[in-house]
Amino acid sequence: MSFWELIVSLLGQGLVITLLTTVLAAILALVLGFIGGLMRLSKNKFIRFIVAIYVEVFRGTSLLVQLFWIYFVLPMFGLTMSALTAAVLAIGLNYGAYTSEVVRSGIQSVDKGQTEASIALNFTRVQRMRRIIIPQAFILMLPNLGNQLIELFKSTSLVALITLTDLTYQANVLNATTLQTTQIFTALLVIYFVIAWPMTKGMKMLERKMTEGRM
Amino acid sequence: MWDWNYAFEVLPDIASALWVTISATLVGFVLALVVGLIWTLMIRSNNKIISNVADGIVKFIRNTPLLVQLYFIFYVFPQFGLSLEPFTAGVIGLGLHYSTYLSEVYRSGIESVGPGQWEVATALNFDTRKTWTRIILPQAIPPVLPVIGNYFITMFKETPLLSAITLVEILQTAQNIGAGTFRYTEPLTIVGVLFLLLSYPASVALRQLEIRVTERY
Amino acid sequence: MSEPIVRYNNVTKYFDDLQVLDGIDFEIQPGEKVALIGPSGSGKTTFARLLMTLEEITDGTIEVEGDYLWHEQDDNGDLKPASTEHLRKVRSNIGMVFQHFHLFPHMTVLENVMEAPVTVQGRDKKEAKKAAEEMLDKVGLLDKADSYPAQLSGGQKQRVAIARALVMNPKVLIFDEPTSALDPELVGEVLDVIKDIADQGDTSMLLITHEMDFAKEVADRIAFFDGGKIIEDGPPSEILYNPKAPRLKEFLERFMNTQSSPE
Repeated sequence: MSFWELIVSLLGQGLVITLLTTVLAAILALVLGFIGGLMRLSKNKFIRFIVAIYVEVFRGTSLLVQLFWIYFVLPMFGLTMSALTAAVLAIGLNYGAYTSEVVRSGIQSVDKGQTEASIALNFTRVQRMRRIIIPQAFILMLPNLGNQLIELFKSTSLVALITLTDLTYQANVLNATTLQTTQIFTALLVIYFVIAWPMTKGMKMLERKMTEGRM
Repeated sequence: MWDWNYAFEVLPDIASALWVTISATLVGFVLALVVGLIWTLMIRSNNKIISNVADGIVKFIRNTPLLVQLYFIFYVFPQFGLSLEPFTAGVIGLGLHYSTYLSEVYRSGIESVGPGQWEVATALNFDTRKTWTRIILPQAIPPVLPVIGNYFITMFKETPLLSAITLVEILQTAQNIGAGTFRYTEPLTIVGVLFLLLSYPASVALRQLEIRVTERY
Repeated sequence: MSEPIVRYNNVTKYFDDLQVLDGIDFEIQPGEKVALIGPSGSGKTTFARLLMTLEEITDGTIEVEGDYLWHEQDDNGDLKPASTEHLRKVRSNIGMVFQHFHLFPHMTVLENVMEAPVTVQGRDKKEAKKAAEEMLDKVGLLDKADSYPAQLSGGQKQRVAIARALVMNPKVLIFDEPTSALDPELVGEVLDVIKDIADQGDTSMLLITHEMDFAKEVADRIAFFDGGKIIEDGPPSEILYNPKAPRLKEFLERFMNTQSSPE
């Protein structure tokens, strides 16, 4: 196969799974990150403790170990799931732990005066968070969230190791059948780069657009 | 569900593989520290070609997955006559990948040193090398030490990827045991616990360092 | 005399072991404009922040229109700490303008003024917009309605902050050194707006300030704070021109000296 044909073949078979895993895991991570980050700021010690455990466990052990654990160990406890589910769960939980720290520190970096002004205007705690603090914190978080999205996208290559048929998996299959090793792995690197690079640029643009004239 | 006897039986095997994991981390980290600094200096070079090439390489490495880079080193290099042991290939992959992150850390450290320091170095007639080694780096590195330490821990947690290129580190050892006995629960859990036991105290210590550093700088 | 709108009863405040307010009794009448003066650290800011519920009261009570602010009465008439709902209900009578404005940077000027009426008071959006525009007109910034705070000067920011507080129709409006963070040439425009409000409104005002001339012009009464207590309290003519307490005399002398000496 020509280099071009290899790229087309890889894209045709693995791109959808790679992107699907990325999107689903990113959504899960964002949701978990916001829930965890807000809970970390709770007045209730017990709630803070629970989140701390979640964050430390998922940050403290390796993503690949978590992926294997969810895919190979959970079935022993009767929790059998598809490779895609396991992949989304592992990556989402792992990045959710990191995201919750981003959310926490973002909220904490909003000027205290904003809270005082909201109290003076008689906002409830929920209104204050939703209307005043989080919108500002979100802009502060954007650079970090953008970086995490790129890292998350790259980490989806690990799902090949639990036989999910993403780009990396397909490259291995193709390698075994065609033995065009150099071209295949070069093509694979290029494909990842061509997706990740515009993502990096896109996040930077979003950042600029959101801060324009306001901050 | 969980068999303590079995767990204690497999623990020594897994723990003995820990040293492969740790040495891969250490060698990879040293490589990343050195190569990262080279990238930074190249990118700062006045020669546009050197600077752009280094910048391009760093961007490419940063925007592609470590796992694929490992495959590339392990499977493609031999096509050009360069066959590497799994450990060597793994360490090069890890080191190269994280060198691009460290390069960014060095850059931010260097940029945090004010322009006045460069001017003073010129005024005192330091040559370029002395300016870097005596004035700029001693100021640029300490504030970013916690970030550098963080990358060390991150690299440690990335070493299981080396199992994909057949390096028998702790995850691969656990997998091998699991494949032989069809019991994955204990070996895989032990691997997770070992990572947590090693990385959590390290990150707590780093947070202390970070507090000290913020107080000082 | 009518019922006071705000009454402090034996109010005490500690920050850890440090006492900042020492058993203060104080009343504000409806429509009354009171200026608080005194050296920094004298307790005047904490005194006002307790009324805005930005600091928690240590001991004593504050009443707003006869309702306890920090407390609720249970069935036996005993006082217990106020619930969040109660606190919010009583707090709705109070508004505040901050030294550092604290505008919402992610909202336009108009949105800044509209936000609380819609979100907090549940007012109709159209009506709130009209009210917000009226307020912006009052502070002379209607033409900046669509700007973001970052695009305004300090004086303009503070005028927006005043509109934002006023649109909530507070019965008592606190000004915490509203001109201290401004460049000297921008102080005048803010003081003019405050003076307008004082002249036409029946809103009570609590004004923490270092602008003695302004205090004299606007306030019905001046209270001098020192060491967590109100040392002297009376009409501006008395406080400024006929001070009795030695600490007040000293404060005014030093103040006049720094005022007249060139920078």
